Amino acid sequence: MAMTSNYTVLAVTLIIWVGIFVYLVMLDRKTKKLEEKK
Amino acid sequence: MILKALLFIVMTWTIIAAFVFPAPQQAIGDASRIFYFHIPQAWVAVLAYVVSMAASIRYLRKRQPVDDDRARVSAALGLLFSVLATVTGSVFAKVTWQSFWNWDPRQTSILILLLIYGAYFALRSAVSGYQRRARLAAVYAVFAFLAVPFLVFVIPRVLPSLHPSDSIIDSSGRFTMSGMTAMVFGCSLAAFTGLFVWMYTLRLRICGLERTGFEE
Repeated sequence: MAMTSNYTVLAVTLIIWVGIFVYLVMLDRKTKKLEEKK
Repeated sequence: MILKALLFIVMTWTIIAAFVFPAPQQAIGDASRIFYFHIPQAWVAVLAYVVSMAASIRYLRKRQPVDDDRARVSAALGLLFSVLATVTGSVFAKVTWQSFWNWDPRQTSILILLLIYGAYFALRSAVSGYQRRARLAAVYAVFAFLAVPFLVFVIPRVLPSLHPSDSIIDSSGRFTMSGMTAMVFGCSLAAFTGLFVWMYTLRLRICGLERTGFEE
């Protein structure tokens, strides 16, 4: 049970990190496009 | 793009390694793994406040809007990472000391820091006129930073604290971690610092676009 909850927390943390990373990459790309348009 | 991919790999490895490899501390079990995220977040907060102070001094000397942006963006990120460190610390405190909030010197210090940097943004929103706002905010940020070394490094060591004083460096100044623990902790520090640098530069670029009045 203890190991199961440990891996559950690991999975949730990884999902949050991947979400933050994807959001930042998309924001970076959009910013780059706007900078090129300028 | 290579640096971003590297950041992704290092942070992902750190998260997996922190939950899998180092043996949990015997007294509190797996909850001790919060340590690998809590301390790097507090470190990044202090780093952000240093950058904010340096940019504020630069603004007062050169009066360039970009330095005001640097100070503001860095203070905002410092506040964000301070909140994260407070939340993870409270969860850690609940497991270790049976209460989310204990008025421990470190907890009280970070609360005062949150209030000080919260007031920085209250000041910014209360003052009208760009130059006056930027000048006052820069002076405030320099004085606000004077409190950081005392609140983060001095007070928790002078007053009796529930926080262990030898979790990273012992009383003789030696590094107490070894093996996988040190490796995961080092990677976590590097990954969080890299994340801060990326968020900081990205927000600055957006500030640059905002300043030139660019609209899609």
